[in-house]
Amino acid sequence: MTTFLDNVFNGLALGAVYALVALGFVIIFKASGVMNFAHGSLLLLGGYLTAVLHDDLGFAGALAVSVLVTAAVAGAMDRFLLQAGGGADPHAAHVQTIVTIGVDILILTDLSRRIGGDLLSLGDPWGDSVSGLGPVTVADSRIAAIVVSTVVIAGVFALFRYTSWGLSLRASAEDVEAAALMGVRLVRIRMLAWCLAGALAALAAVFLAAFPAPGLERTTGQIALKAFPAAILGGMASPPGALAGSLLIGMTEALVAGYQSDLHVLGEGFGDVAPYAVMVLVLLVRPTGLFGGKAAVRV
Amino acid sequence: MTVRTTAPPELAVTDVTVRFAGLTALDAVSFTVAPGSVHALIGPNGAGKSTCFNVLSGLCRPATGTVRLGDADLTRLAPHRIAALGVARTFQNIVTTQGTVADNLMLGRHALSRAGFAASALRLPQARREQRTHLDRAREIAELTGLAAHFDRPVALLSYGDRKRVEFARALCLEPSVLLLDEPVAGMNAAERARTVEVVHAVRAELGLSVVLVEHDMGLVMRLADEVTVLDFGRAIAHGTPDEVRRDPEVLRAYLGTGSETEEDAA
Amino acid sequence: MSDRLSGIRTGTPRLWWTLAVVTVLCALPFYLDAFWLRIGLFSMAAAVGAVGLGLLSGTAGQLSLGHAFFLAVGAYGYVWLAGEPGPGLPTAVAAVLAVLLAGAAGGLFSPVAGRVRGVYLGVATLALVFLGHHVLLTADSVTGGFNGRSVPPLELGGFSFSADSELTVLGVPFGAEERLWYLGLALFALTWFTARGLLRGRPGRALVALRDSETAAAVMGVDVSRYRSAAFVVSSMYAGLAGVMIALSFRRVVPDYFGLVLSVDYLAMIVIGGLGSVAGATAGAVFVTALPLLMTRYADQLPLVAAPGTTGGTVGPTEAARYLYGAAIVLILLFAPDGLHGLVRRLRARLRRRSAPPPTAATSPTPSPAPAARTKEPTP
Repeated sequence: MTTFLDNVFNGLALGAVYALVALGFVIIFKASGVMNFAHGSLLLLGGYLTAVLHDDLGFAGALAVSVLVTAAVAGAMDRFLLQAGGGADPHAAHVQTIVTIGVDILILTDLSRRIGGDLLSLGDPWGDSVSGLGPVTVADSRIAAIVVSTVVIAGVFALFRYTSWGLSLRASAEDVEAAALMGVRLVRIRMLAWCLAGALAALAAVFLAAFPAPGLERTTGQIALKAFPAAILGGMASPPGALAGSLLIGMTEALVAGYQSDLHVLGEGFGDVAPYAVMVLVLLVRPTGLFGGKAAVRV
Repeated sequence: MTVRTTAPPELAVTDVTVRFAGLTALDAVSFTVAPGSVHALIGPNGAGKSTCFNVLSGLCRPATGTVRLGDADLTRLAPHRIAALGVARTFQNIVTTQGTVADNLMLGRHALSRAGFAASALRLPQARREQRTHLDRAREIAELTGLAAHFDRPVALLSYGDRKRVEFARALCLEPSVLLLDEPVAGMNAAERARTVEVVHAVRAELGLSVVLVEHDMGLVMRLADEVTVLDFGRAIAHGTPDEVRRDPEVLRAYLGTGSETEEDAA
Repeated sequence: MSDRLSGIRTGTPRLWWTLAVVTVLCALPFYLDAFWLRIGLFSMAAAVGAVGLGLLSGTAGQLSLGHAFFLAVGAYGYVWLAGEPGPGLPTAVAAVLAVLLAGAAGGLFSPVAGRVRGVYLGVATLALVFLGHHVLLTADSVTGGFNGRSVPPLELGGFSFSADSELTVLGVPFGAEERLWYLGLALFALTWFTARGLLRGRPGRALVALRDSETAAAVMGVDVSRYRSAAFVVSSMYAGLAGVMIALSFRRVVPDYFGLVLSVDYLAMIVIGGLGSVAGATAGAVFVTALPLLMTRYADQLPLVAAPGTTGGTVGPTEAARYLYGAAIVLILLFAPDGLHGLVRRLRARLRRRSAPPPTAATSPTPSPAPAARTKEPTP
């Protein structure tokens, strides 16, 4: 029973972190129709900046700077590389998706070179402390992951709902032409969406590198790729769907890893790839994800 | 090649109803396209003309009702099967694919040719022979539609009117017994319009096919159509010859507005 | 489609060119050392794989990040079928079966490939790479696990494509590289021939139509889901062939080679070369494959690049190569969306224009890479 609760809690925490990343994918996809394959690199960039700055600025300062810089990089990438390559035509989104792969190679190569084989500490305040929560003992960093993600995600949903940016974003996702006619400034809306997604990724990096993970590695960005299945499961264009998908993926991964010994037929480390297996199974039944309508397919 | 000698089969639409999320786009619509005739579907925007075309070409499945072509039931068939049975269509906004006019016309020959992946990859003699024969026929159709001069040109470089004609010729390449034309002259200037009317006439005379036409240009409808069906809010409110429809009081109220100067109004 | 359907462009000059290129390629093993031949081998293998991905992602417009998986099926399929443990089939039979096996793997994926579209398909194929990698690591008895397996050399009618037996041709000792070079050339020629046949024929036109508008393709009689799946099967078969070639050239297969990075490399090849053309995919493959190898070899002579093995802050040759081609993807998509192939075509058109009398509007410009027009999809 305790193992089960342990696993469920781990799943929740993982799901919460994936949700930060997946929400970024979805925001970007909604705003631009682009699947951002550079998201893992943005996350790594955020983590790297926090890691190198926290000695001088303290954890909070480093995190703030890293979130801002990552947001700026994401926004600049959209504004100067992607938006330069075509307007709202669906074919352009396809090309821009591949541009993000190029950008990913650039950022990832550079960060891998800088990080090398090192494990970087992000200097987060939770360290390896644990707390008892009823019958289970959990890492403080995981509690923090859940709390912070919940607050931030609630904030993002409030942005969607109550700001003019959120309204414009939703309007332009519905109908680009109509939104343009109504005077929505698509260029800025899009760029802000990318900034927000970048900021979320930088934040997620903290929890992906925190205890019980050993620290930030050059492969940490690849972990972020698991948010792809999460976003796809949710239907790609639906933020609540992304949340549900993230929890599903987090739970799957935690439970498969937790019951590893009973699932040894599937091989060691299946937990890491289980999200992809779940995604393929879901896509077989629902080609546009659990929450995706037909309209969600923009490419 | 396969120029039709017998009359095409009759196209019968019976009680077709289409609903989208609570909205009834077509409400028990019935009409019959007589073999070899030109049948126009007219009606204000949103009357259900395009939906009707989508049902006929299999892109949209009706909730109830049937579509029959001669003895064949088209109602639940996939679009490519309907195409293979001889129903070809054009689109309201031009949909050509990358490549030359020849490439596009040869796409129209897809359902009539066999060569699969293996035969084409290995360039087997029969595949090459087939390609040659169909290319010859595509060239003939290009001549018929006035595209011969552009045959090897990339479609992207053609004028708007020519591109629209490429779509038209591509549909003809299917050797259809029924040709669905969705606003064939929309956006064309007067000369291009006249040209298209000529081509439709020529095609009808030469290939003996039935044509279903959606068009806003009333003058063109009156000149081309043998029979007209008027749609309004998804219902067929009138049938008849262009003259009969022009005088139908319900049509005048629903669609043509005041009742005088009908042609000038709509054109 | 890059080639005019009916324009007769053959004729003697073209034939001479082809002959000249083939002669030079055949003569190279007599003049180049093993390093250069290896670059050639890897490039040829990559070109075969890239042509396959080009068919799928460039011509049929289905984004795939799963190419590494199908390469792995080909490579491991060959090793298992021809080796111990495994059925130990004659190597030539094993090679053919490995290609078919990769095609079958593509076919098994078709329930997904036939229905899942656009970016969804891209991510679904991503799953193939991760799941495939996991299987390669865990199915020890077939794949050899983390350390992989060594590759049995190919034998054709008693002739071994390895350095096992001594062979000297015209005074040049023929080792494994020299022999594999001709095998690679033959397989690449086969790929070139078949892929161009496909593209110019009925299937190619149907695939282009699928990419530009599924609706239009369907009403023109193209069975959409069948062709979507078929594109996957064919592309996987080319990938499988490339996998076999890679296995033979490396002489050892390891799981980590067939990761996401490899898939991205292949995507880079077709983008750099120009989507939807066989020549472009080949050029891209040579560029992406040869660049890191050349940079490694000449690292000491290049500015800003450190020799391999030096650590700390400096840019190593592999990294420099990755910077270059990452930048190449971005720049090419921004400034020359039709890739190297398009650049060459435009250059040629410009040269022709200078030498020939002024052409009419239709002969010079290249068609835009974007589809001429798009359909309004039917209302759902």
